[in-house]
Amino acid sequence: MEKRLLKLSVNGEKYEVYINPKTLLVEVIRDHLGFTGTKRGCETVSCGACTVNIGDMSVKSCSVLAVQVEGLNVTTAEGLEKDGKLSDVQVAFLDQGAYQCGFCTSGMLMSATALLKENEGKTLTEHQIREGIEGNICRCTGYNSIVRAIDAVAQGKYKEA
Amino acid sequence: MSSELRYSTFKTNVKYSVINTNVHNVDGIAKVTGRAQYTFDVTLPGMLYGKILRSPHPHAKIINIDYSKALELSGVVAVVTGKDTLGIKQGIWRRYSELCDEQILPLEKVRYIGEPVAAVAAVTEEIAEAALDLIDVEYEVLPAVYEPLDAIKKEAPTIHEGVERNVNVTRHIEWGDVDDAFAEAEKDGYIREDWFRCSGQHHMCMETRAAVSNYTPDGKLTVWTSTQSAYYHQALLAGVLGMREGDVRVIATYVGGGFGGKFELDAAQFCSAVLSKKLCRPVKIVFTREEDFIASKRRTPMFYYVRTAMKKDGTFLARESRMFSNGGAYTGMGATALYLSGFFHSFPYKWRGYRYDGYRVYTNTMPSTSMRGFGAPQAMFCSEQQIEWMCKDLGLDPFEVRRKNAHTECYEVPGQAYIQSCGMSECIDEIEKWAKSKGDLGPNRAIGVSSCGFMSGGIFNWFDSPYSFSSAVITINNDGTAELHVGCQDIGQGSNTTMAIIAAETLGVKVEDIKVHSGDTDHCPADLGAWGSRQTLMAGNAVKMACEDAKKQLLEFAYAEMGLNIVYDLDIKDRWVHVIARPERGMKYEDLVKKAIRAKDGQRIIGRGYYTPHRKGMISPAYSYMMQAVDAEIDPETGKIKIHDVMTAHDCGQPINPLGLIGQLEGAASMALGYAYLEDMPMDEGKLLNPNLVDYKVIKAPEMPPTGIIDIHTYEAEGPYGAKEAGEGLTNPTAAALGNAVFNAMGIQMKELPITPERVLKALREKKEQETK
Amino acid sequence: MIHDFNYLKPGSLKEALSMLAEHKDECKVICGGQSLLIVMRQGMVTPEYLLDIKHLEELNYISFDAKDGLKLGATTTHREIEKSDVIAKNYPVLVAMENKLASIQTRNWGTIGGNLAHADPAGDPGPVLIALKGSVKVGSASEERVFPLDEFFVDYFATQKNDDELILEIQVPVPEPKTGTAYQKFNLLDSDMGIVASAVSVTLNNDGTCKDARIVLGNAGPVPIRVKRAEELLVGKKYDEALFAEAGKIASEDCEPVADIHASEAQRRHVAGVYTKRMLKKAWEQAMA
Repeated sequence: MEKRLLKLSVNGEKYEVYINPKTLLVEVIRDHLGFTGTKRGCETVSCGACTVNIGDMSVKSCSVLAVQVEGLNVTTAEGLEKDGKLSDVQVAFLDQGAYQCGFCTSGMLMSATALLKENEGKTLTEHQIREGIEGNICRCTGYNSIVRAIDAVAQGKYKEA
Repeated sequence: MSSELRYSTFKTNVKYSVINTNVHNVDGIAKVTGRAQYTFDVTLPGMLYGKILRSPHPHAKIINIDYSKALELSGVVAVVTGKDTLGIKQGIWRRYSELCDEQILPLEKVRYIGEPVAAVAAVTEEIAEAALDLIDVEYEVLPAVYEPLDAIKKEAPTIHEGVERNVNVTRHIEWGDVDDAFAEAEKDGYIREDWFRCSGQHHMCMETRAAVSNYTPDGKLTVWTSTQSAYYHQALLAGVLGMREGDVRVIATYVGGGFGGKFELDAAQFCSAVLSKKLCRPVKIVFTREEDFIASKRRTPMFYYVRTAMKKDGTFLARESRMFSNGGAYTGMGATALYLSGFFHSFPYKWRGYRYDGYRVYTNTMPSTSMRGFGAPQAMFCSEQQIEWMCKDLGLDPFEVRRKNAHTECYEVPGQAYIQSCGMSECIDEIEKWAKSKGDLGPNRAIGVSSCGFMSGGIFNWFDSPYSFSSAVITINNDGTAELHVGCQDIGQGSNTTMAIIAAETLGVKVEDIKVHSGDTDHCPADLGAWGSRQTLMAGNAVKMACEDAKKQLLEFAYAEMGLNIVYDLDIKDRWVHVIARPERGMKYEDLVKKAIRAKDGQRIIGRGYYTPHRKGMISPAYSYMMQAVDAEIDPETGKIKIHDVMTAHDCGQPINPLGLIGQLEGAASMALGYAYLEDMPMDEGKLLNPNLVDYKVIKAPEMPPTGIIDIHTYEAEGPYGAKEAGEGLTNPTAAALGNAVFNAMGIQMKELPITPERVLKALREKKEQETK
Repeated sequence: MIHDFNYLKPGSLKEALSMLAEHKDECKVICGGQSLLIVMRQGMVTPEYLLDIKHLEELNYISFDAKDGLKLGATTTHREIEKSDVIAKNYPVLVAMENKLASIQTRNWGTIGGNLAHADPAGDPGPVLIALKGSVKVGSASEERVFPLDEFFVDYFATQKNDDELILEIQVPVPEPKTGTAYQKFNLLDSDMGIVASAVSVTLNNDGTCKDARIVLGNAGPVPIRVKRAEELLVGKKYDEALFAEAGKIASEDCEPVADIHASEAQRRHVAGVYTKRMLKKAWEQAMA
């Protein structure tokens, strides 16, 4: 099968890859570009471990054809920090112990980041937070620490004075 | 916010510098920045991808395997079958050869749907998968049996040659005069008997089974794998491959969950190792989610018959239980689940007489093994519900009855266990207060409770390890930082952090001064690993001992340096070496380290520690205790359950890592609630019907209720700083507590797991029919 | 594993339709791919050509006017529908339905057109749009056709759409005054597909009697099922909980649910009846308000 050139931006950097058009976005991210923070945990678009952001939107990268992100900006967990300074959500996760084995964490952080971005300046209820991470399975934490972490960011506890 | 940290630390009598403070998990940065590399992420130069061909039959002889066509497919490098192995029957109960019954790549026959029969290595995963379709296996299908009560019949097909009635293991536990106590109850007490059916459950770790094996021309094998015990896999792989343990290295830096399913040898490790050894090339095998469901081991399904006698005032007299477990095709850790289920089925109460007979029966289904709770969630589902029904039958207060019979400090379970610390009564008091404070919850809604107690590691050495159960080495560098080498395995539960905390507290430094090394058999001492709730107590004791050793060596120089009167003692706290009686007198820890190293001719200060339980009864050196309450509402028209709240009063001795403890409670609750009303593994003639995350339902954020923990503080002499287990015991009470909530709300008795809407409606209909009669 | 395919990326709707006309049944259309990629990965669907219309802005729009009602372009995402102010104002049941459809990630990339074309009998939009009297417009290189949605689905995963056609637009008329519409699906996990579902729409006369009703069951047969016998029962009647229960009973009878590990046939029928009764009450009360 003839390969296609795909140009995309990941974590603020431009990349070009030659791929079979059936290649999934998660395969480009992990196998072609080496960003292994994003994981895969199922074959049925159920677990959310592969969640990345396209623009400000969260998507399950196992369920997106890579060719469809031509010219778009993709952010993975590796792209949340800026010159080693962690994002508010990442610090909140550390403070709340909002991870255990860590396998779902990259995807969970991306869902949380998208949720918070979408609701900037608005109040975020606990119910909305739970709905906001409904697409991410965590087998270890029972979710409540993750909800507390997202809530803390939403409440402005990490805003610099 | 629903689930507030009710205490950001927990109440304690002792003020520690590091213990019981909120510290960031030491692996936190790696995990929240995508840097943590799991086996799933490992790639090596020249690496091949492996795929496994699995049996479509539940029971069949393997007549012939023809893989010549597969080898012709471009990109396929090798195919292996049982004939490429030493044919060794292995098992985790190494001490008993009759329980080592699994070849992984079997030579003669397959015993469950999904059992591996061949493995392919190819240059891409896609080619390896395509090659599977080109392997022809000729089977002679044999009759199969799927349920233990069928498999135990005389006419049932034999699954393992020489094993009569397919009875794999039996366990008998007894104390006191059971028959005498029942006789008394028959005269003027109360007896009840019930049958229960407990389902299986899948660990469903976020990271599926995975291994990368790399055999090199120097005869050494390195295996990256997702495991709960690097040492177990080092020993097991060496055994089946005919290698020295020292020539096998197992690496498990980050593991995506275990929950009891990842310390036995699995096909990812075995097949990748066999392929790699044949080719001298790295081979990676990662199970798909579907494979992980059908072909790894599961929680043991159990049929329980429970007969219990109590006096009319609620004093427990005796219990006599029989349990048949569905062992599946091989023994695995199922033998331990058989014993522990029967033991914890008596917990946490004093019985005049107790008798348990457990039968683990082979069937042609996937093997059953350990899963968080280890047979106790099943045991409590039966015990705690029956007790609740008996209280109702007799018109007694369920809190009062539990309290009356509860274990107490320094109680001996005759011939079985010596209970040292025990906060059971206080747990009951707190939950009773909490439940009553909630008042009237409205129609179709109620609180149900369950008590339990659980082990902090087992005393058995069925693995036949020659090593201490846990070991630790601490090496202090010139700048005061310290390398802590431990064999305990962090699988997400935070053992690296717990050990860093214990080390920092003992040495008198900060957590950031300790660098934890774990998950690599080349550099770390042997440790039995992360299962049976053993690591905080056992590895924690080893770490404490090692750090006390190192601290003693440091303080020897400080005593000399400071010229103290013999009656004075030194200690180190917050990097300050000081006279305990006069803390302002002292010196900096970093300065002392430099002097001590210089005095030792430039040798770093090294401390060693280890722990193996001795003379600690039949089960465990220490027991956690708890009572859990579940507030649930049932839709009477559809049977759908909504969980409103889960509150647990919990005695784990001294909490070490509060953030970790809360995480364990909440995680355990989500898994145990799943067991109680959502998760199931229905099979049709040995075929799993829901091997994917669409049809296998696990709790997600919207279903997760608020959870709270009330810490009951005790001091366990056997544990480091008084600590006991937390996190596995917490899965034990939930199914029972939910069952009791349903009973209290709707008056129906749920004897089968999971508690589904359809089962609830059926019970409501039957209750209505009974009432109209 | 996904089989190889020839990837086609049309620059316009016109080009897309001509490509479809050329390749017909050798070609599958992908938009968000949230349903399609799963079946392709299982090897169940193996097209020679894959036509990608995700980027066709011509088909991405939400427009509403007081005369013609709502028009949704086929490549409008579920999330865009969920977040639309004009839909929240005029068809709040659509927003509520989208809010519980799969997860946010799926709704961000998956589209309404893709969902309807896939025709999963457990799909959420079908029953709700039928209750709202919606229609779907499909088009080929040569012509366009419009189907009321209750005639569009023909069988499991099959619709009236031909191989050389694309779904172009979903049309929902302005609801009559005194209309209420409600939808609920029965599941164990919040955003799962419904084990069974009920969408009900009720329009009242000025005297409070029922002018018109639609009762649509989801996942109770190969396609969404309109329970016409129950709809007819309601016309001319007043608010009456016993009436709702009777309608529910009819719904439980006039459907063909298939048992699986999640629920027996009896349970599905029973819950279809219970939820119809409840949604009828809810929709009627909405209409009265």
